[in-house]
Amino acid sequence: MNQYQLIIMADDKQVVLERILQVTRYRGFLINGISAEVNTGTKVATIIMQVSSERPIELLVDQVNKLIDIKSVSVDNSVAFENSATLLKLSTQN
Amino acid sequence: MTTENQFTGGSLLFDVLQQHGVNEVFGYPGGAIMPIYDALYDSDVKHYLVRHEQGAAFSAIGYARATGKVGVCLATSGPGATNLITGLADALADSIPIVAITGQVATTAMGSDAFQEIDVFGLSLACTKHSFQVRDVNDLESVLHQAFAIALEGRQGPVLVDIPKDVQLAAVQKQCLKVSTIPNKVKLPPADVTKALSLLTTARKPILYVGGGVGMANAIDEVRSFAKETGMPSVSTLKGLGALSSDDNPYYLGMLGMHGTKAANIAVQECDLLVAVGARFDDRVTGKLTEFAPNARIIHFDIDTAEINKRRFADAPILGDLKANVPLLSCQLEIEEWQNKIVEMKQDFGWQYDHPGQGIFAPSVLKEVSEKAPKNTCVTTDVGQHQMWAAQHMNFDDPHNFLTSGGMGTMGFGLPAAIGAQVSRPNDMVIAVTGDGSFMMNIQELGTIKRFNLPVKVVLIDNEKLGMVRQWQDLFFQGRLSETDLSDNPDFVMLANAFGIKAKQITTKAEVSDAIAEMIDHDGPYVLQVCIDALDNVWPLVPPETANDKMMEST
Repeated sequence: MNQYQLIIMADDKQVVLERILQVTRYRGFLINGISAEVNTGTKVATIIMQVSSERPIELLVDQVNKLIDIKSVSVDNSVAFENSATLLKLSTQN
Repeated sequence: MTTENQFTGGSLLFDVLQQHGVNEVFGYPGGAIMPIYDALYDSDVKHYLVRHEQGAAFSAIGYARATGKVGVCLATSGPGATNLITGLADALADSIPIVAITGQVATTAMGSDAFQEIDVFGLSLACTKHSFQVRDVNDLESVLHQAFAIALEGRQGPVLVDIPKDVQLAAVQKQCLKVSTIPNKVKLPPADVTKALSLLTTARKPILYVGGGVGMANAIDEVRSFAKETGMPSVSTLKGLGALSSDDNPYYLGMLGMHGTKAANIAVQECDLLVAVGARFDDRVTGKLTEFAPNARIIHFDIDTAEINKRRFADAPILGDLKANVPLLSCQLEIEEWQNKIVEMKQDFGWQYDHPGQGIFAPSVLKEVSEKAPKNTCVTTDVGQHQMWAAQHMNFDDPHNFLTSGGMGTMGFGLPAAIGAQVSRPNDMVIAVTGDGSFMMNIQELGTIKRFNLPVKVVLIDNEKLGMVRQWQDLFFQGRLSETDLSDNPDFVMLANAFGIKAKQITTKAEVSDAIAEMIDHDGPYVLQVCIDALDNVWPLVPPETANDKMMEST
């Protein structure tokens, strides 16, 4: 299984995290970890997600990018990931 | 009551719908959507009461597909909302712009397992392009505008707006917002066609592969001009049918794929360049993907980035609006040898309509219906053998005139889709081609047809079987006919008559022509039950996980 790390920027809108998780599962990727927080000033969420799959990562990038509330998706395996303290800091509407 | 800018959530809904040109909606009332139906009472929007919410969703789809406009359906919370789900999934699979409005229990009751409460917002994630739940009436106007923009922009699709009962009742001032567009989505850069032009001009055996995106992008004229100028042989997907026609294109080979024409499938397997336009290399098209068009380079036109390289690598992707981009590739090709071979195959592998005995041959019936129906007739189908026979043997002059459930393959689609098509195009004939299995899935909508006296014609191909499954059981499951017998069907003529609809049954070839003429000449709705042999099969057939040129044929 190949492992990837996605950096997703999204508007802090209703169920945006749930939408990302649904697409990730449906398109055949396992979620190994997730860190998410919101800039309350800009109302932009930053979601760092570690995933693994036999499928090419471009498939997931393209499908997440199609979600209406997504601003950008990039693959960046160099960003440090807080494995020990996975954070879920999205606002209550998520 | 509303003054000029004072509304309730319910009355604001209809005001915004009318801003978007929606004058007809399809729905079914219930407890949690009563304030909206109360507002409907004072609205100029015409409501078509269906007899099951699934019928409302399919009618909205039929309305949208027959016109290119957004279709709208309404349902209450709980079971009303879940009954819409199949329609939403169908619209997502076929990229159809509809807006579904669901009532929800009051915000104070949400999350308490209230009567008729279901998390339709959660359910919608897998079967809509986008969805909203409006918890503050002040957001309603903006959300509704966004819903229409999202349904129509880019690759089209269904949008759900869930509105709690207290939000429907709440007073709100109209903000007179401008109709919004989708945030975040950047415009695609102008297409670079340099590589594609190079591939095209050096190809010796190119094929144009036309999909449903052509009709939805309103790029029919552009694709026809492209096919004509290049002289490129062409094939179509199920949803692309109508974009091209043999009448004005000698190198058009019809549908490709599992039940495609022999000529289309062989040509695609032999081609050295495949120009896909608004098509997505669906598994019903490709057969065994690793053996599909094995010698072909790929030029792929699409509006959706996610379709590029999803199933087949594109040597030259061209992203963006088909209407603008397809003409960029127009050029003249020197492919006479290939054209001659295509014409030869088309002649050698043409359809045969000689059928022994007095029994009725469904392909002949559908061909004759197609020939005798008035110009601009809109045909809907259900799913199964009759659907494939319609695709093979009927001719369409526009993709908006052939409405069939392609991606989802939903039985029960045809009759309510025909209602939506007839409502949207009252001056055109609408014919629903169905099978006895599919017809029974939404037969209650005959009540809707009668109530509104919609002159929908139904051609019911009746083999007293779930015919396509029976065919596969015979071919691939050693003839073990498990649960495909429908010989205890009701008397369909009597059933149609019980709804107040004229109907006729025919059982022999000799009756076909007169019966078709009678159906077409009849002013109102009509059900023509065409009884066929239970063992008739759809040919050709590419078995699952098989290359398209290894098709099974009638013996």
